[in-house]
Amino acid sequence: MVRLDGVRKEYGETAALDGVSLEIYPGEAVAVMGPSGCGKSTLLNMIAGLDRPAAGTVEVHGERLDTMTETGLALFRRHHLGMIFQFFNLLDDLPALDNVALAAQLTGSKAGPARKRALELLGELGIADRRNVYPAALSGGERQRVAVARALMNRPALLLADEPTGALDSKAGEQVMDLLLDLNQIGQTLLIVTHDERLAHRCASRLVELGDGTVVRESALERL
Amino acid sequence: MSAVWRAARAAVHRRKLQTFVIGLVVLLCTATGVVSLALLDAVSAPFDRAFEAQRGAQVVATYDPARVSDDQLIGASTGLTAIAGPFPQVVIEPAGDAGSFLGGRPLTVAGRADPGGAVDQLDLWHGRWPSGPGEIVLAAEPHPDDYDLGPFADTTTVTAGRVTLRVVGWAFSISGSADGWVTPAQAAALHPTATQMLYRFAGDVATRDALKARVAGVATGLPGGALLSAQPYLVLKEKAAAQPGTYLPFLATFGVLGLLVAVIIVGNVVSGAVVSGLRHIGVLKAIGFTPRQVVAVYLTMVGVPAVAGAVLGTLLGANAAQPMLVSTFRGLGFGQEAGTRAWVWAAGLIGVPMIVLLAALLPARRAHRLSAAEVISAGSAPRRGHGLRVQRALSATRLPRSVSLGLGLPFARPGRTALTLATLVLGVTTVTFAVGLSDSVVRITGLGDQAAGQIGVRAYNTDERATTTRTDAQVEELLRGMPGTARIATYLNQSVSVVGSSEPILVNFGRGEVAAMGYEAQLLEGHWIDGPDQVVAPSQLLNRRGLRVGDQLTVVLGGGRRAITVVGETMSGAPGPVGLFADWQLLDQLDPGRKLIPFEYRYQVQVTEGTDLDGYAAAVRAADPGLYSWNDAGDSSFAVVVTSFAGVVSVLLAVVTALGVLNTVALTVHDRRRDLGMLKSIGMTPRQVVAMMVTSVAALGVAGGLAGIPLGMVAHRFIVPLAARAAAIRLPGEVLRVWRPGLLALLVLSGVLIAVLGALLPARAAARVSIAQVLHNE
Ligand SMILES: Nc1ncnc2c1ncn2[C@@H]1O[C@H](COP(=O)(O)OP(=O)(O)O)[C@@H](O)[C@H]1O
Ligand SMILES: [Mg+2]
Repeated sequence: MVRLDGVRKEYGETAALDGVSLEIYPGEAVAVMGPSGCGKSTLLNMIAGLDRPAAGTVEVHGERLDTMTETGLALFRRHHLGMIFQFFNLLDDLPALDNVALAAQLTGSKAGPARKRALELLGELGIADRRNVYPAALSGGERQRVAVARALMNRPALLLADEPTGALDSKAGEQVMDLLLDLNQIGQTLLIVTHDERLAHRCASRLVELGDGTVVRESALERL
Repeated sequence: MSAVWRAARAAVHRRKLQTFVIGLVVLLCTATGVVSLALLDAVSAPFDRAFEAQRGAQVVATYDPARVSDDQLIGASTGLTAIAGPFPQVVIEPAGDAGSFLGGRPLTVAGRADPGGAVDQLDLWHGRWPSGPGEIVLAAEPHPDDYDLGPFADTTTVTAGRVTLRVVGWAFSISGSADGWVTPAQAAALHPTATQMLYRFAGDVATRDALKARVAGVATGLPGGALLSAQPYLVLKEKAAAQPGTYLPFLATFGVLGLLVAVIIVGNVVSGAVVSGLRHIGVLKAIGFTPRQVVAVYLTMVGVPAVAGAVLGTLLGANAAQPMLVSTFRGLGFGQEAGTRAWVWAAGLIGVPMIVLLAALLPARRAHRLSAAEVISAGSAPRRGHGLRVQRALSATRLPRSVSLGLGLPFARPGRTALTLATLVLGVTTVTFAVGLSDSVVRITGLGDQAAGQIGVRAYNTDERATTTRTDAQVEELLRGMPGTARIATYLNQSVSVVGSSEPILVNFGRGEVAAMGYEAQLLEGHWIDGPDQVVAPSQLLNRRGLRVGDQLTVVLGGGRRAITVVGETMSGAPGPVGLFADWQLLDQLDPGRKLIPFEYRYQVQVTEGTDLDGYAAAVRAADPGLYSWNDAGDSSFAVVVTSFAGVVSVLLAVVTALGVLNTVALTVHDRRRDLGMLKSIGMTPRQVVAMMVTSVAALGVAGGLAGIPLGMVAHRFIVPLAARAAAIRLPGEVLRVWRPGLLALLVLSGVLIAVLGALLPARAAARVSIAQVLHNE
């Protein structure tokens, strides 16, 4: 599903990623951990095609992202990837339901069916009653669930999560963890960046540890 | 496209302030631009349209009937597309009691069988065409009201020598081919001195030289010396354009300033939207909007209010222009043509949105380039360095902390600050120019008013149909004895022939306090009459006749002939038609035996300060019912139009500039809401927050004032004389020296005022930023 080979990325003098090679197989749930500033988010951005490597190759779902155009990357993201972030990154202009539906409308779905599926997803995540509320008025946990619903909208081949519980209290964090686990168990490929041990052990089947831009260790995990 | 539309629509909905600012700025600027364009367009177009509709004569030529026969004239048609004539032509001098409309001037009368024809189709707007001898149709611009109003009803007959002609109708000739028309038989009976031919040519007729060449072509086969005169249509066209032509440089200046301000503010507003929308753009990209779609979202966000503003602004502008067009062109004979034309509408409806989109494209391209990863992961844009360094330097000063923080804010976003400063500079430039312009125009009309005298008196009362029995000296004595009289001048208005020119020249022979009426004060060049055979001329007359101070003319009147010298040039002439100033002595020398009748005089009275003009005029009429007296204080409609237009435009642009500042401060508040929450959490009071935000732009206001004032002064220096040239007048230097230190200080303040007014609203919003909310939203 994902194959990185010798990926390098620099910001000014310092290398955020320094020759990272990594492979992720369909159906896996991989957790990336490491101290703050070691390059976790940078790695995730490479896989999401939000950023380009200075050297090395990035292949996701059979496509070489490092050589794709900006527009190509946007089309690829919209069809094959779902992303969730620590700070949710919802569109403040749109209420919850429209935030979710927008992702499907981008792929050409009509507004009606898109909103119907968005409502189903919000229902499955237990926040259907919050569908007309703007993000600013939602709690952190609710926002993250809207973000998850949006990420799942186009049935992505790969779901990427960057510190999905980092801004949540422990109860809301638990709920998101359950959600991700359930998704993986029905076959969703997952890549989770976190420094939360519990999240990694609960949801991931494999752990990749990063330190100063390189892979320090890889290990299989027993789910708790 | 539907996802783009949804995202853009939501953004428009949720960014009401930004949307409102864009819409309002575009509306106000469009309205200003459309008014300017409509008036610019009107300057020459109505004449051209009426000229074509009436098949106007490009040249009105007169020939000497003693040298060339009618058949020869009909045969000479080289290069012509249309020809009318020959019409016998004669100049008659109506007796002075013909009524106020004719006013004793000589009339050129042509003999025409009908008002139509291939050239110069007359607009017979009242009455009928002469059907036999003893009847005449007089030339006048179409009268908008009923025939029984105005001087027309007064004028029922024209008496010249022993012939009396009854006025049977009124007609308008756009070619100005004659002052009256009679039947050919009647014209023949008046002993015609010239034969009139009306021409339209093939090919170039754009310049006087081209027309001269065409006339020469027509006259090649004719006997030498047969052509007496050839009046090109350009004279009338320029005359028609002279009045609005005066407005043109002002309109153009305001129009250009308005468009510049609009473009810069829209650019600033849009780039502000992009910068404050960084995270928004990042999110759009992360969920799969292509760069092109992100640009489309941002252009739509701007396009919606811009199009709405352009449509409303065009409607508003076209409506505002209408009365100005009508009032400018009424009386020129084609006021009814004064509509706003299609291209002006197109410029407002299509041109303005195009300009806005172009202004938006530059910052929108930035949205195109931005890497999503850069803005999305950390949740906020990385800080830049230079602002911090300035901030550190400022914090070392002794200024209150909120002031020094405010002074540092503009340096954090140099691009946005530069654009805001540019709009402030242009705003102050506009205000400065408008203030200077109004002051100059008031001075010009002041000079004109003073010279016009405030009371006019004639020795023939049209209302009572009575003539005074007093001699001219007795009338003067009566006026001098009236309470309130300060100065009196007496004029006799007389056309004299000029040797070597087919066109006679009008002379105002004056006595009494002519120089002191203000004419000496407005001398542009030379000196006032101080010896025999000297004349002074208004610049309009000098321009028209191609004369200069120092030139000599030989004039002929009655039996006398004298060489006179132009010794001075004034800004304006005596009341009535433009003519030379000459001393009464010259009249005596030219035509010593001339019998003077009281009603040929015109008296000009200046009253002492505080005298009621209408009361004075009524008192004169009461003192002698044979005298006609009226309030002649200068017609200041030009000053009113210019000052009110300048006032409206500068208020509009000041509002637009303040809106630009409002937008800038609103964006800063939005960008810095986290800092504001932090500052408040450590104890900054709302008042200090307002002080900080207002300081951040007040400094820009001062800078804008200091840069904008010189620009406005330069514009004033160049554009006022330019307008004067269009009106064919010259201005005394005093008119341009309007700047006083107090005024300049006020203008600097205007920059600060615009900036502070614009900043106040968003600064108050900043003071209300809730700490809890800021922290809740990340
Ligand atoms: N946009 C950026 N500009 C400059 N430096 C960056 C940027 N993004 C990340 N970095 C740097 O790259 C390194 C890795 O960052 P990141 O991948 O965000 O770390 P992590 O997510 O592991 O905390 C850090 O040193 C960070 O300061
Ligand atoms: Mg990170």
